[in-house]
Amino acid sequence: MTQSLPIGKLSRPLALTALALAISVHAHAVTFDDMLNDHLTTDQVVTNGMGLHGQRYSPLTTLNTDNVHQLRPVWAFSFGGEKQRGQESQPLVKDGVMYVTGSYSRMWAVDAYTGEQIWQYEARLPDGIMPCCDVINRGAAIYGDKVYFGTLDARLVALDRETGRVQWIKRVADYQEGHAITSAPIIIDGKLITGVAGGEFGVVGTVFAFDAETGDELWTRPVIEGHMGYVYENGEAVEHGITGGEAGLTWPGDMWQQGGGAPWLGGFYDVDTHSLLIGTGNPAPWNSHLRPGDNLYSSSRLAIDPDDGSIKWHFQATPNDGWDYDGVNEVISFDYEENGSVIKAAATADRNGFFYVLNRENGEFIRGFPFADKITWADGLDENGRPLFNPEGRPGNPADTEGERGEAVAAYPAFLGAKNWNPMAYSQDTGLFYIPSNEWMMDIWNEPVSYRKGAAYLGAGFTIRPANDDYIGVLRAVDPLTGEEVWRHENRAPLWGGVMSTAGNLIFTGTPEGYLKAFDATTGEELWGFNTGSGVVATPITWEMDGEQYVSVVSGWGGAVPLWGGEVAEVIKDFNQGGMLWTFKLPREYAQ
Amino acid sequence: MWKRTLIVLLLLILQAPAWAETLATRAVSAAVSEVAGGKASAELFRRPALRNLDEVMESGHINIGLYENFPPYSYRDESGEARGIDAEIGRAIAAGLGLEFRPFWIKPGSSLGRDLGNNVSRGHYLRPTEVADVMMRVPYDRAFSYMRDSTGEYINKSVVMFGPYQREEWGLVFDAGRFDDEATLGSFLHQRIGAEHNTMPATYLTAVLGGQLRDNVRHYRDVGDAFAAMASGEVAGIMAMRGELEHYVAQHPEHDFRLAEARFPGISRQQWDIGMAVRHTHRQLGYAVEAVVDRAVREGDLGDIFQAHALVYRMPDFYAEILGQAE
Repeated sequence: MTQSLPIGKLSRPLALTALALAISVHAHAVTFDDMLNDHLTTDQVVTNGMGLHGQRYSPLTTLNTDNVHQLRPVWAFSFGGEKQRGQESQPLVKDGVMYVTGSYSRMWAVDAYTGEQIWQYEARLPDGIMPCCDVINRGAAIYGDKVYFGTLDARLVALDRETGRVQWIKRVADYQEGHAITSAPIIIDGKLITGVAGGEFGVVGTVFAFDAETGDELWTRPVIEGHMGYVYENGEAVEHGITGGEAGLTWPGDMWQQGGGAPWLGGFYDVDTHSLLIGTGNPAPWNSHLRPGDNLYSSSRLAIDPDDGSIKWHFQATPNDGWDYDGVNEVISFDYEENGSVIKAAATADRNGFFYVLNRENGEFIRGFPFADKITWADGLDENGRPLFNPEGRPGNPADTEGERGEAVAAYPAFLGAKNWNPMAYSQDTGLFYIPSNEWMMDIWNEPVSYRKGAAYLGAGFTIRPANDDYIGVLRAVDPLTGEEVWRHENRAPLWGGVMSTAGNLIFTGTPEGYLKAFDATTGEELWGFNTGSGVVATPITWEMDGEQYVSVVSGWGGAVPLWGGEVAEVIKDFNQGGMLWTFKLPREYAQ
Repeated sequence: MWKRTLIVLLLLILQAPAWAETLATRAVSAAVSEVAGGKASAELFRRPALRNLDEVMESGHINIGLYENFPPYSYRDESGEARGIDAEIGRAIAAGLGLEFRPFWIKPGSSLGRDLGNNVSRGHYLRPTEVADVMMRVPYDRAFSYMRDSTGEYINKSVVMFGPYQREEWGLVFDAGRFDDEATLGSFLHQRIGAEHNTMPATYLTAVLGGQLRDNVRHYRDVGDAFAAMASGEVAGIMAMRGELEHYVAQHPEHDFRLAEARFPGISRQQWDIGMAVRHTHRQLGYAVEAVVDRAVREGDLGDIFQAHALVYRMPDFYAEILGQAE
């Protein structure tokens, strides 16, 4: 692992052949080729995102707009116990076995035909973990004969696929500092790559790469300007370049040292440019007036070389963020034709309400437009995609407050974002992105009467509110070439689950009200729904077994929304928690 | 009583009928002893072990909420023993009520409101069964206690904040070896100054004087780290709570670190009082605790505790008015 690893398409097959030989004794080892082809194959799901690019598009047509009304449950599997909250996991399927993670750092292997448990793994979490945003987990990675996932105490766990026995456990960051791993790790050519969530003092968002086989460290890349990245040679950390060139270019004083920017949602892989595309969190501290400057690379999207962690390009959606607009949302690679040439693009729908189309070869801004109905913090984007700030949309400096509560700034969208973590999907047939979004706003005011750890404190008060009386969630079909909203479906509660598209002209997503729903991808007509008994805030998958098409989704209300409440609490207060894996299929006799 | 009955019933239902009689007898004694501790029912129903005064007295111990790693107020020594001013006051409360003192360690959250929710009124969602009976070092401020949210609800209605026992304030310490005269805020236009990350001083120093000090502010994990940095010459001053400053100055006798008579123009809270909190349904427990602390303030025991920790004791406004001992 010390030599530089082969880059690009020519050398990769050689490495893969060697790898394939090495692990061929295991009958059904998952290879990197399996992952590279995951979006084309229909009998398994071996990546988070149903393809390394994260398009969440299945080429299956067995289930389609004509017969989706015959889709029916075939089994359900309970996560058991009392840990019934916050299920945001996407299952994986390989050789008739489903691998699914649950809240509180648990994982199961389940017979995909019957729903019977094969094994269960429950991480022993230490007392005193403090994850910021519920006890969720967003899914596993699978490679060779192992499955992997991250835990709330910021470890990576490698388990034997067949037995669930621990192969290795690697501490990635210190949970006592408030770190946790909630996202699904990604495997790129034998490297297991993850970001880390949270962190209190002095946190600097960092991307970590490990050898998937052994758990050995391969490289680390801090995402905040001024911090050194490392590659590991013979177990020794070797300096590999300072992020952003040097410290202090876009941060005042020593603030880059505690810059934040946690890449907590993980990333996707673009094979054409051999890049990990990953987003970074908002900068710290929260008060933007204390850190004038762009604060790179907070609230940004990065293209990282998976071989050594070098940053190839960056695009910052929210410079000098003052609204908690994390830039972590997924970047999905897609191609389109323009004037006879193929554009290698990538799309992302930001917390800040804007949809961006970037050139994924160099990170250049191609176009951007609002996908949220109302945005108050910026008046638009300039030709480079930089926001045209609205000075009245920025919360005031608490240090300027004297005496009474400061005047509230109404900011659209709210800090939970016009779109949060829950992934959108792309349809190769319609050429549209299907965005699970929310219409909500926040009031932020300076709060002179506040305290922290026994001391007076200059806090900001904020409350989150629905932007409309009758709905918060909006599932939108958006044309990435024109910005046109082709259709929308409104939902009373905020949408917090991921979206899936299929070649059967179907769009699937869940609602906190408990439904898994199917829509016509072209028209937005709601075609099917099933109430799973608890809120669906996870992402569905589809695959084929013995000629029949299956759909699975995890049900279990939770995540960040119920923790923040505000006036949104009124909408969600009656939702019950849960933990159930539901599997549906279209019986053979209804397939055409 | 209904709790005990419920548990017994539950246990009865769970057992085979032939064993029921003996088991029920055992269950009763087990349930009685454990309910007194509040633990069994809490675990069974996944809700906080909210203990009223009777239950606390019956159990023989009291859980005192203390911030962890927070010298000179509360911290654990090498052997894990609770140390510091708040720990000593906690011991005095326990002794005054004839109870065993048990520290309940609190990791500070993003705001006092969160700490109260996670540790006093409802428990953290990860540990819903664990709460303190009484929490120390809770600012005593009517404006905070009666703060309302946007819908007009009292934000902190599920706790009672009571029993002010100390006046706290902001202060500035400087390294006298680095200045000709006593340092003021303006001195740090040309020298570095340290502050604990994510505190009022961190915000204040980066904003005051039109932001001119901003580039000279160094942020530290806590005030102890800031003093270590001043000892090594990294910064020439530190802004923090007066109690912390007095404590760490005493810890660095080899250096000429001095408290400045600094003023902080434009700061929104220069001084505030420190008290305690209990759940709003446990006022009776609050009165019992308050009586012990009140006596300690009036009879000077509290002053002795502060003195033993090398701190100047400052009485809260409330007492200063009654006892006429304005500091």
